[in-house]
Amino acid sequence: MAKARAIIKRRKAVDNIRKITRTMELIATARFRKAMDRAVEAEAYTRKIAEMASDLGGSSPSTLHPLYEKREPAANALLLVLTSNRGLAGGYNGNVLRAAIRDYQDLQAEGSQVAVEVSGKRGQNFLKYRKIPVSANYGHFEDKPAFHEVEVLADRYMRLFLEGKIDRLDVAYTRFINTAKQEAVVRTLLPIPTDDPDAAPKAAEAKAAPAAAGAGREKAEYEFLPDAEGILQELVPVSFKARLFKCFLDAAVSEQIARMVAMKGASQNADELSKNLTRQYNRARQSQITGDLADIVGAAIALE
Amino acid sequence: MADAIPAAEHGATTPAGSKLLQCQVVTPEKTAFAKTVDFVALPLFDGELGVLPGRAPLLGRLGYGELRIKVGGATESYFVDGGFAQVRDDVVTVLTSRAIPADKIEMNGSAAKLDEALKVKAVTESEVEEKEKAVARLRAMTHVSRKA
Repeated sequence: MAKARAIIKRRKAVDNIRKITRTMELIATARFRKAMDRAVEAEAYTRKIAEMASDLGGSSPSTLHPLYEKREPAANALLLVLTSNRGLAGGYNGNVLRAAIRDYQDLQAEGSQVAVEVSGKRGQNFLKYRKIPVSANYGHFEDKPAFHEVEVLADRYMRLFLEGKIDRLDVAYTRFINTAKQEAVVRTLLPIPTDDPDAAPKAAEAKAAPAAAGAGREKAEYEFLPDAEGILQELVPVSFKARLFKCFLDAAVSEQIARMVAMKGASQNADELSKNLTRQYNRARQSQITGDLADIVGAAIALE
Repeated sequence: MADAIPAAEHGATTPAGSKLLQCQVVTPEKTAFAKTVDFVALPLFDGELGVLPGRAPLLGRLGYGELRIKVGGATESYFVDGGFAQVRDDVVTVLTSRAIPADKIEMNGSAAKLDEALKVKAVTESEVEEKEKAVARLRAMTHVSRKA
């Protein structure tokens, strides 16, 4: 009976783990919905900013905002890595960190001094293990990054950039494309890229939106306060903040999706394992009964 | 936005007397509110600007201060933290990093914060600018919450 008992014990353990992974899956699903809602709500802002920029578009500024200034080669770069605080999220952290390390090495190869800042405990531990010096750790961005928290970072980065202490800001994070697809990417946020792949579709959207809204959305003669250029110059830092905030939101949504998928897989595996163990147990029990029967029959024959 | 535009077009066709404004306040986190209102007072960077239905299109930079809206006879007041305002087709869009209803502003120790901000030594140009910003912000916040 010893073998059968051992199998039962294992099966119990597997069932318990399944309960945990299943619960985690449900929690991740709920969090994902919330994070997704937040991301959708936040979109209105970026869309409006883009719209306003396109309304201002006719009056292109004579001088580009200093945040656009490209400095080649970048002597001091800053790499911000967005990871999660918790594990059990499949390849989520691994992918981001792999992309981050690649960028880190590329930047170093180009001869830049790279400072690394990281958000999330997973990234901190990994970089500690790789013995990469980290200049700042942020652990307070959970699954609900607040704008005023991100704004603090954005303000600091802009100041560092304008003071010339950094020449480039890269962010490694997981970009949310749709619920089925997210990818780890490294994006350069400062200097603000003029041919931004994200900004291009947005501009197109902004152009499409007025068309969809009908003739009422023709170019209006705006009154500018203080003036078009002044507003445009103010708009640049705001759109940078919005962009950084979007990185955080994307990372939060992607984390929950990754965890959801990982936990779903774990639950399925546990199910399968539990089934196999049940089969093994039944077989063990059966063979034991057969053995017992053979013993009894053998004893009965011997008595005759 | 989707429902705002038809309303605006509708507003544009009715006779001048009965027009209403569509006012939406958008923060990076969410759309704080979207309402149909009679009047909006915007805190622009150099002073207050009132918007009534039929206002010519406008793009403006906001300062720190009070955003007031009038619906029927009631007035609602919000504190906005800089940003931009756009007026067109009787739609007022306010983009700001924060919009707090006046009665929800937490004033715990902000008087002390104001004193602190006033005491900060500012030497360089950017420091002076930063200080002025902080002081203006706190002053506006205190002002709005006192009125509420």
